[in-house]
Amino acid sequence: MTTRPPSAFARSSALSANSPASRLSPAVTPEVLVAIDHVDFFYGATQALNDICLQVEAKRVTAFIGPSGCGKSTLLRCLNRMNDLIEGTRLSRGTIKIHGVDIYQRDVDVIELRKRVGMVFQKSNPFPKSIYENITYGLLLHGRHEKKHLDEIVERSLRGAALWDEVKDRLHTSGLGLSGGQQQRLCIARAIAVEPEVILMDEPCSALDPVATAKVEELIQDLRSRYTIIIVTHNMQQAARCSDRTAFFYLGKLVEYADTRDIFTNPTNPQTEAYVSGRFG
Amino acid sequence: MIESPSALPNPNFAVQKRRLRFLGLTIDDTIRAFFGGNAFVAVVVLALITFFLFREGIGFFVQNRFNVELYRQAGLEYVDHIRRQADDHAALSRYLSDLRLRQFSILTEREKRSLADTNTALAPFDTFAEQFSASADPLRALLSDLTEQATALKTKFVVTEDRKEERRQLLAVGKLAEAAAVEIVAVDFARELQPLIAMLPTYQTANRDFARTLAELIERPPALVQVELASRLATFQRFTRDYVAGFPAIERAMAAWDYRQPVPVWHALTSFIFGRQWLTASFWQDWYGILPLLVGSLLVSLVALFLAVPLAVGAAIYVNQIASLREQRFIKPCIEFISAFPSVVLGFFGIAVLGQALRTLSQQSWLAWLPGFPFSERLNILTAGSLLALIAVPTIFTLAEDALNNVPRAFKEASFALGASRLQTVLKIIVPASLSGIISAVLLGLGRVIGETMVVLLCAGNRIAIPDFTQGVAVLVEPVHTMTGIIAQEMGEVVRGSVHYRALFVVGLVLFLLSLAINYVAQGIVRRYRISIG
Ligand SMILES: Nc1ncnc2c1ncn2[C@@H]1O[C@H](COP(=O)(O)OP(=O)(O)O)[C@@H](O)[C@H]1O
Ligand SMILES: [Mg+2]
Repeated sequence: MTTRPPSAFARSSALSANSPASRLSPAVTPEVLVAIDHVDFFYGATQALNDICLQVEAKRVTAFIGPSGCGKSTLLRCLNRMNDLIEGTRLSRGTIKIHGVDIYQRDVDVIELRKRVGMVFQKSNPFPKSIYENITYGLLLHGRHEKKHLDEIVERSLRGAALWDEVKDRLHTSGLGLSGGQQQRLCIARAIAVEPEVILMDEPCSALDPVATAKVEELIQDLRSRYTIIIVTHNMQQAARCSDRTAFFYLGKLVEYADTRDIFTNPTNPQTEAYVSGRFG
Repeated sequence: MIESPSALPNPNFAVQKRRLRFLGLTIDDTIRAFFGGNAFVAVVVLALITFFLFREGIGFFVQNRFNVELYRQAGLEYVDHIRRQADDHAALSRYLSDLRLRQFSILTEREKRSLADTNTALAPFDTFAEQFSASADPLRALLSDLTEQATALKTKFVVTEDRKEERRQLLAVGKLAEAAAVEIVAVDFARELQPLIAMLPTYQTANRDFARTLAELIERPPALVQVELASRLATFQRFTRDYVAGFPAIERAMAAWDYRQPVPVWHALTSFIFGRQWLTASFWQDWYGILPLLVGSLLVSLVALFLAVPLAVGAAIYVNQIASLREQRFIKPCIEFISAFPSVVLGFFGIAVLGQALRTLSQQSWLAWLPGFPFSERLNILTAGSLLALIAVPTIFTLAEDALNNVPRAFKEASFALGASRLQTVLKIIVPASLSGIISAVLLGLGRVIGETMVVLLCAGNRIAIPDFTQGVAVLVEPVHTMTGIIAQEMGEVVRGSVHYRALFVVGLVLFLLSLAINYVAQGIVRRYRISIG
């Protein structure tokens, strides 16, 4: 279980040109997809995020780690504006740009944004509908109705989520009848069915057993070539195994953001070091 | 760290039961007995009520059979053949009056003729109508004769039965002499019915004359002042011909009639369930048919649901899914407050305000296209249904809101994360996921409404008749009576133990079973829903 997929580090070593010096300069390079710039975020009067600056690169897996309550989920939910659903929240300072477009501008269509930035939640939450309907839900919302087309996408998404072989014979039974791990992969299939560019995952494996976790992690490896993935995780090994870049948060602040290998083997900040070595958290 | 290995219990480890006792019971036992006792009382009360309803109700069917049997034996059934014939004739006469009214209003309103002028113009028509009406005089005379005889026979029999009862009671308390003094004359139906049956030839002769008169009359109808009413006159002629053509059938039925024909046992039940008349304290024959009351209750309840469901479910969706916290805090108590109105107050409001307002509204010319508008009855199904809707709204709202609340928040988030709008999320995820909860909310609302008494008693119009469904939707502005209303209205006046008294109990029983069924179905749906959401 703990053996690292060789590819994770092979890939990041290829990126080792990304020196700490270049990280510090906020210059937008072509591969930056999501640019978070000096963001402060409040729940009513409590500040949850404090001056976050971070750039997520396209077609990479970026992990957010940090102790509970440090604002990882909050930041993640800022990226598809899910926090809008909570009353009294506001992004009081800074900008978040995707493809250079500020997603908190007034003229941004939130619905269009969420189509581009899909999300997988901590607790798997398939709809109380059939597996097939779970996948097609997002497509029907956006007005795609041809049966043949839908069938194709259902198969493609389920294959993409490595679930096809397990459910192909019961597409029309309830999604709630699947095991926990299968449900979570169904949720991933549902997210990729609408062809987003970014997939946000908020501790997608925290409710799964080790075998199901391994399957989801494998799936993340498969998806990284086509999607930009941001994953929040509590599990240090998982971050190390799956991600290219890792951001460590503490008390609403971004403490360190670097290549995953650097974070785990050679952290610059003593807090990061203490956390990844398991000395606090 | 054990200091001594002795078997003596350590007094510091006090886990033994306390010795505290109350009436020889430990505290635990007392608590158990107290709560168990409460539950037991509830079960016993329910059983008693059910038993009482059934005991009082079942007797009805015995008495009703007797009632129907007497109807036959005393010859009332026989006479009713002629009564129906006379009633049909009266209906035809009413058709003529209606025709006169139409002519009259055309003459005075459209042609602006004076009253005297109009009456002169209508004189030939009036003569015709009078002749038509008078043609049935011999029939009516015969009918009143027979009615008297049959009623007398029925009374005689009832008196005899009363005497028998009196003697039984005297014997029971041992007063033998008094019991022997009670005079009982057995009623010999065969002999007593003789004069009734002997009338048949007279009736047949009268009938032939009657038929001839009618045929002659309609061959030379009066000239109508307006051509446009000619089709109505033709209809009248056709009705009358059909009427006359039905005479031989009546005569055959009367000739074949036999008072000895047994009344089937199930007739006591079927005449109740399918009976189209609820007729009590009549000089002639009482009928206990639940149909008009059942139909009335159902129509009023359906109107109430039709109005309440969109309101209550819509409000529940708004409050649960869309409203801000402040709006929620305001709207929820408001809706729940509606149920604080005593229903008699609502009924009063219905009579004093709503009924009048609805009627005035119906008389607006720009609403005349609505079916049934304008209507003249202030108190009708619509008035009662609107108020009942008000009563159902809090029930449905609260339960539907609960159902919506039970939909896991995660479904909503997942839907939004896929780019659904608020409306799409509500319609495609939240409502389907809570649908069974909403349906059971509606059913429980129905249960609430069908059992409601005061409002319908005050506002439904209380006309005991099956409303005329041939009018389509306009049936909803007719007055009706309901099952709850009739119990409340008549229970105070009936003689304890009489067939009427027991009939009201059976109506209560039907209500009880109906509510039970509705609740059962609703609970079943809720249970299924719990399982499906998991
Ligand atoms: N809906 C909310 N309302 C108010 N405060 C919240 C809400 N959600 C999170 N918070 C607060 O924001 C901070 C960050 O929370 P979160 O982003 O969920 O942390 P993490 O995901 O890193 O555990 C915490 O202090 C938490 O108490
Ligand atoms: Mg979290």
